Amino acid sequence: MSSPHITRRTLLAGGSVLAVTTLLPRAAHAAGRVVAPAYPGPWEEAYRAVVLPAVKKTQDVDTVLTPLLSLDQVAKVKASRGTPPLDVFMLDPGPVVIATEDGLIDKFDPSRCKNIVHLQKSFFDEWGVAVAAQIVGIAYNPKKVDRPKGWKDLFEPKYNGKVGISGFGTTFGTSSLIEISKQYGGSMTNVDPAFAQLKKWLPHVAVIAQNPVAVNTLFQQGQMDVTYTNYQTVSTLKGRGVDIEFVKPDTGPIAFYTTLHVVKNAANKDNAYKFIDTVLSTEVQAALQKPPYSLLSVNKNVPLQPDMPQDLVKSHAELASFVHHDWRVIAPLRGAWIERFNKEIRQ
Amino acid sequence: MLLAGISLRVTPQLEGFGLGQYAKFAGDAFNWSVLWQTLMLGVKTVALTACIGVPLGLLFIEAPRRLQPLMLFVIVLPLLTSVVVRTFAWMVILGREGLVNNALLALGLIGAPLRLLHTELGLVVALSQIEMPLMLLPLISVMSRLDPNLKDASAALGAGRWRTLFRVTLPLSLPGLLAGCLLVFASSVTAFVSQTIIGGGRMVLMPFYLWQQATTLFNWPFAATIGMVLLVAVLAVVTTLNALGRRSRALVHG
Repeated sequence: MSSPHITRRTLLAGGSVLAVTTLLPRAAHAAGRVVAPAYPGPWEEAYRAVVLPAVKKTQDVDTVLTPLLSLDQVAKVKASRGTPPLDVFMLDPGPVVIATEDGLIDKFDPSRCKNIVHLQKSFFDEWGVAVAAQIVGIAYNPKKVDRPKGWKDLFEPKYNGKVGISGFGTTFGTSSLIEISKQYGGSMTNVDPAFAQLKKWLPHVAVIAQNPVAVNTLFQQGQMDVTYTNYQTVSTLKGRGVDIEFVKPDTGPIAFYTTLHVVKNAANKDNAYKFIDTVLSTEVQAALQKPPYSLLSVNKNVPLQPDMPQDLVKSHAELASFVHHDWRVIAPLRGAWIERFNKEIRQ
Repeated sequence: MLLAGISLRVTPQLEGFGLGQYAKFAGDAFNWSVLWQTLMLGVKTVALTACIGVPLGLLFIEAPRRLQPLMLFVIVLPLLTSVVVRTFAWMVILGREGLVNNALLALGLIGAPLRLLHTELGLVVALSQIEMPLMLLPLISVMSRLDPNLKDASAALGAGRWRTLFRVTLPLSLPGLLAGCLLVFASSVTAFVSQTIIGGGRMVLMPFYLWQQATTLFNWPFAATIGMVLLVAVLAVVTTLNALGRRSRALVHG
């Protein structure tokens, strides 16, 4: 079966050409690059379109953007602490707690970001800095169902077979289930009432999504007409022509912040700071906040109006009045909730 | 080896050594039901692919020689597209506003859309199509090597077409069928992408369970344990099928 045309010499020659070509771009860019993650989907699109060109233009740094969810980033860095595959973390509040406890995050030095002066003091701490606010509420399809008012409405018979849910694997899932639990007598640390409610109502659930990306596709395909999710996901889907609207639950929408961090032992630490600084800049924050990206700015120079709808949020002061959960309390409980969700929702 | 090593760690921080993780797995009925459902998914997929694969294989060997390359191309076609593409295609077919539901609604056979996606039935059907080439290829390769004279001999000895099929053709194709079953089983039990997307959140199967433990809960020792249990379970089934395969070859040549 051996081919007479390929001798060992030609094979070696071809192989070395290939090896050199794969090495070349690395060598050329080694002076200025940073490996940064972005959540798959809308975030990735926004960062690719806005942040990458800005980082290249203002800092002359090439960004390798890796689409990864928070927990996947933590898992990847955990698996190779000494030589982490990322320079920057983009995390939701829950995974921040895990990553900090595991010692995967480098201490954050605010003085290395000149744009930090445009931020409220509460938006950064010794571990990282907020880059966008997220609002969690209810999404629905206005062509197919009535507008729901609050969390309790999800269990109304008129929505039977139309509501899709997701578990404690995501930030918005966890936050929403906590709020549901509160409506039935629970609290931030007690989700038993939510489980009791879900269990009763399970036959009427349209779909159970296993990850945030699935939530988007399932809504788009009409598998569900009501669900809980981030405002920014709704805005992106709407931008694509999907029939979807966002509702602030009558008991108050949930707000949380997505943060950037420098990974411990990062290969390109200086560039990680340059990347974070660029994201915080007034221009980038303003561009990221424009629909359809709708990533709520943390920069004082970028007001939330007029990019956000009037009835959603008018100012940062109003945003601060939304429901906030303390993830340092939630994070240690979440593992058990995830496992319980597995067992209770199983057919 | 690494997998086995990590599965012997006591805590998620990878401290100590012991069989604690295996005890934890064995001690919870939920884990057993996940394992059982996963293996049964494999069995059901194998059954469906075999039921469809055998007639298709017979059709192939009886088809005119000119058509056979074309048929082979059609059989291999699913392997040429990515498993993700095939999975999403099935989402379009099985969805609430998908092909099947729209057709049934248009015909007036059902009043409201049926739930097909995110059910075990939907998953088994989709997996059968996705894994079909793995059943057909070994089956056809064995079937097309059968000596045509055997059939003539059987006919000359007075057997009808059905009797020839059941007493001559099928027993002789058994090694191919078993090889196909083995491939389909191993591959459908571990088909993470199709299981999660078509099966949905209501079904917890071993590959998803492992993924969740490893990347959401960061309990690597328990994830490794799930991996080992799945590996051993699949190996046990594969070994049994292999032993059957050897017996069936003995049947043919003996």
